[in-house]
Amino acid sequence: MQHVLWLIPFLPVLGFAVLVVFGHRMGRRTIAVIGAAPAGAAAAVAIATAVSFLVAPPATHAYDQVMWTWFRIGAFAPRIAFHLDPLSLVMTLVVTFVGFLILLYSTRFMRGDEGYRRFFAYMDLFIASMLILVLAGDFLFLLVGWEGVGLSSFLLIGFWYRERANGAAARKAFIVTRVGDTALLVGLLLIFTKLGTLDIQGAMAAAQSQWAQGAAVATAAALLLMGGAIGKSAQLPLQTWLPDAMAGPTPVSALIHAATMVTAGVYLIARTHVLFELSPTARLVVAVIGAATLLYAGVSALAQNDIKRALAYSTISQIGYMFLALGVAAWSAAVFHFLTHAFFKALLFLSAGLVIKAMDEEHDIRKMGGLRRDIPVVFRLFLIGAAALSALPLVTAGFFSKDLIVDLALTSVHGGVWLWLAGVVGALLTSLYSFRLVFLVFFGERRGSAPVATRFPRLVVWPMVALAAGSVVLGWIELPVHWHGWSLFTDFMASALPVPGIRAGGLLDAIAVTLIPAIVSVAGVYLAWVLFGRRRPAVAGSLVTRPGFRWLAGAALAGWGFDRLYHVALVRPFLWLAHHGQRDWIDRLVSGIAGPAAALGGLLRRTQDGRLRYYLAAAALGIVVFVAVGLLR
Amino acid sequence: MSDAHLLVLSPYIALAATAVVVMLTTAFYHRHLLLAGLTATGLAATFACVLVAGAEDRRATALLRMNDVSLYFIGLLVVVALAVVALSYGYLGRTERRFGDFYTLLTLGALGGAVLAASAHFASLFLGLEVLSVSLYGLIAYPRRRPQAVEAAFKYLVLAAVTSAMLLFGMALVYAVSGTMLLDKVASAGAGLAGWEAAAYKAGLALVFAGVGFKLALVPFHMWTPDVYQGGPAPVIAFLAAASKAAVFVVLLQSLAPLDPQRGGVLVVVLSVVAYASMLAGNLLALFQQNLKRLLAYSSIAQLGYLVVAVVSSGAAGGARGAGTVAVAFYLTIYALALLAAFGVIAVLAHAEGEPEALSQYRGLGHRRPALALVLSVSLLSLAGMPLTAGFIGKFFIFRAGAGAAQWGLLVVFALTSAMSLYYYLRVIITMYRLEVAPYAAALATSPGGMSAGRRAADRVAVAALVLLTASTLLLGVYPPVLLRLIEHAASVFR
Repeated sequence: MQHVLWLIPFLPVLGFAVLVVFGHRMGRRTIAVIGAAPAGAAAAVAIATAVSFLVAPPATHAYDQVMWTWFRIGAFAPRIAFHLDPLSLVMTLVVTFVGFLILLYSTRFMRGDEGYRRFFAYMDLFIASMLILVLAGDFLFLLVGWEGVGLSSFLLIGFWYRERANGAAARKAFIVTRVGDTALLVGLLLIFTKLGTLDIQGAMAAAQSQWAQGAAVATAAALLLMGGAIGKSAQLPLQTWLPDAMAGPTPVSALIHAATMVTAGVYLIARTHVLFELSPTARLVVAVIGAATLLYAGVSALAQNDIKRALAYSTISQIGYMFLALGVAAWSAAVFHFLTHAFFKALLFLSAGLVIKAMDEEHDIRKMGGLRRDIPVVFRLFLIGAAALSALPLVTAGFFSKDLIVDLALTSVHGGVWLWLAGVVGALLTSLYSFRLVFLVFFGERRGSAPVATRFPRLVVWPMVALAAGSVVLGWIELPVHWHGWSLFTDFMASALPVPGIRAGGLLDAIAVTLIPAIVSVAGVYLAWVLFGRRRPAVAGSLVTRPGFRWLAGAALAGWGFDRLYHVALVRPFLWLAHHGQRDWIDRLVSGIAGPAAALGGLLRRTQDGRLRYYLAAAALGIVVFVAVGLLR
Repeated sequence: MSDAHLLVLSPYIALAATAVVVMLTTAFYHRHLLLAGLTATGLAATFACVLVAGAEDRRATALLRMNDVSLYFIGLLVVVALAVVALSYGYLGRTERRFGDFYTLLTLGALGGAVLAASAHFASLFLGLEVLSVSLYGLIAYPRRRPQAVEAAFKYLVLAAVTSAMLLFGMALVYAVSGTMLLDKVASAGAGLAGWEAAAYKAGLALVFAGVGFKLALVPFHMWTPDVYQGGPAPVIAFLAAASKAAVFVVLLQSLAPLDPQRGGVLVVVLSVVAYASMLAGNLLALFQQNLKRLLAYSSIAQLGYLVVAVVSSGAAGGARGAGTVAVAFYLTIYALALLAAFGVIAVLAHAEGEPEALSQYRGLGHRRPALALVLSVSLLSLAGMPLTAGFIGKFFIFRAGAGAAQWGLLVVFALTSAMSLYYYLRVIITMYRLEVAPYAAALATSPGGMSAGRRAADRVAVAALVLLTASTLLLGVYPPVLLRLIEHAASVFR
């Protein structure tokens, strides 16, 4: 199957191209087919590849397909090459499968939109870019996918571009992630100049053999790559763009949060894990960023009133868990959480989309309530998603993946108590904010207007059911470490991602490690019930009136003032500088080139007056000069 | 002459036969579709002959040098001519009532170009050049009710006649002192000469170069370009810009190939000066141009300047010579693709009263005819050398060849003027995607519905050809090896 790898990203690219070139003549039905089918076909190819990969594992534990070399200057020979190992296989499966389900949902969800064709063209481009990113065997090709993801997210976040705020959100996403992209580019150049190859596997092997453990250059390269990763993955301090990215249509949010874009950073670090193994410093930074982000975003999610913003913060928090796992060298645990998260987060966003549609484009959860009775199907699906997000023990996939991370945060040789504690507190926050949403939206009394739509077409519901099924059962492929059962996922990934060393611990430790996160997440649900679920939320009411708490809630609602900080510390000085630097000597120098060019052009243009005799004179003069030069030399 | 020799010459035989058949058919059946179809079939047959000829022993005549480079360019010429037929079919249907002689002239022009591309002798050089030029006079003046076209043809005729005379005189001088007309020997014949003989030899070479420089529209022989480009019918100008320049350029490349860089000192200096002047003048003149056809004319002056940079570099020692040849062959190909597409768009938009020339007429084209706007955008971006288009790879090869030959001064000007060119290329693209729609573009939206079935089909043929050209431009931008392998193989004759 390794000769068809190129088909996987090519099919969505083809869908994009067909929609762009011929889409204006197509009906909605054709557009829907051409928009959604490529992702489905790519998923089929990916599944076939996975089967052949599992049945007859290649000797190198990877499929490689080199298409061609773009051009060559010395060692700089960027190739169009695909590399499929267990890591990229899992990523590919999730991107194509979840992406396809989201596209299916969109065929009906977006039906009334005038930009129907544009929507599917961009979505195909988005999925294709992400597939190029995860399948690229070359750093430059990876960068093509990386930039493609940035571009298509910009286009989709600003999809409803007629409203100024949406355009601003799109710009913000692009510019903030660009900060990280710059770091990534510098990192890639560093790797290329030091190791002399663009081939990812080759560069990793070279790094392992040439760079010593803890070498400064390895730390620098790892930190630069991490800069790119935290930009795309919306981690502290570059997280500000993601809550605003809700400006796009809901399926876009689902795609950004579940399959494409924000997981790119996690993938990048897992892909270049060799560098992070060489550098304890970089690993520690990743772990601390992950822990801080998951707490920060968990608290922020708790204060949000916009249902989509709350989910956005929850994504930041969950990606924080993945970073935490990466930071303690639990590479495959991070990817495992990515896998389950893709399912339940897509499910949550798609359900939220239906809730918003039912409430006639109302996003504010304070104006909802009691929807359990009006839209029971959506309620059940959302409940499954929220339970998986809260990692309720045994019945959800989220439990298995999050438990693995929290466990390894303590027991990995690179882990520590503080990281573990952050994970546990985060688990409490997670189930608290998840079920706050559930109780406020679906329980209690109706606080706003009545729903305008209560029935949804099958094509919308069935993809969500598939996602819900995944959110429930997927976890069973990897049992918690202390159960001493099977660990299919880690074993499968072992050829691509090494297993972290485990600190030995007593039985008591093991019980504590397994039980505490589970207890905490159930406690979070109960706490949410006490605070937000009871008919008369007395406790919450008495809290809210206290001034200290109100300040806290306001700060959390605003994401702890990062936006304002960046505005004051970066945006305003920059604008000031740009404004006052408009006519400085650098600008004068640049426009100083334009002036003479214009003058020279004007002078030359006078010679082109259309009179043949002058043309002949010029030619004759030229000949005289040439002959003279010929004679004199 | 054996059968094998006939096979080697089969592209010429096929082209000439096509011209005769089309001419005779015109006399009796004046059906447009039939004539265009015959021409296209003949050209396709010629292309097949090129493939066959490539497998044969090459020494058929002393006049023609049928090596892989010339065969490659004959193939390119035939493809260009085919594209021009596809563009002309709809164009002539809309603007003219007589078509037959057009295709005869076009085929003859291609024949002249093919002779030129393989010429190894002053005689074949002059013969090819004249066959090509005479066909072009007729083609440019073909819409004879349009005074601009007649004026353009007249200007071209006068200037071409003068420079042809120079060329002939230069050949005579060189022959007088060196006693040879074979291009291979001419280049090295100057070594043993002294006194007035050396002077005559050098003056002769300078005159020959002037004749070639005129055809290529290099500074200072560039003045005719904007007027002729503006006045002539768009498909013909596409042919003039893409095919005739490619054919003449091969002569330059092939006859300079055996040139030793040490002895070629003067020529390298002259060529460098011409390259500097062409890059600067072409780009500066294009900067504020408001007429698209004139803009393309100026830009083609600059593009030819870039190509001379590669020729200068190909004169350098060692492996760089191959690099220069590869750069030239690749760039001429993608330049042909881009210019064909750009003039093709103008041709498709033309109607009986004339062609849209002013940039303002293109305002809003992106909303009315998105496919055409896309084709024009891609070809302009390719001319500007944007990555992911073929133009980037082409400029990259020129840069590599120049760097290999250490022509730093030329490369600096090359890079700076390329950056400058972005200004006027992007201005066209921005104009096309402006929200307000010019009256001209607005009228387009209604016309396809009002067209007759035949016209719509012709329109589709042209658009399909343009989409094919654009797709090739994009394909070569991301997947250059498809063409590169062929060119590198062909260029190995110079190693």
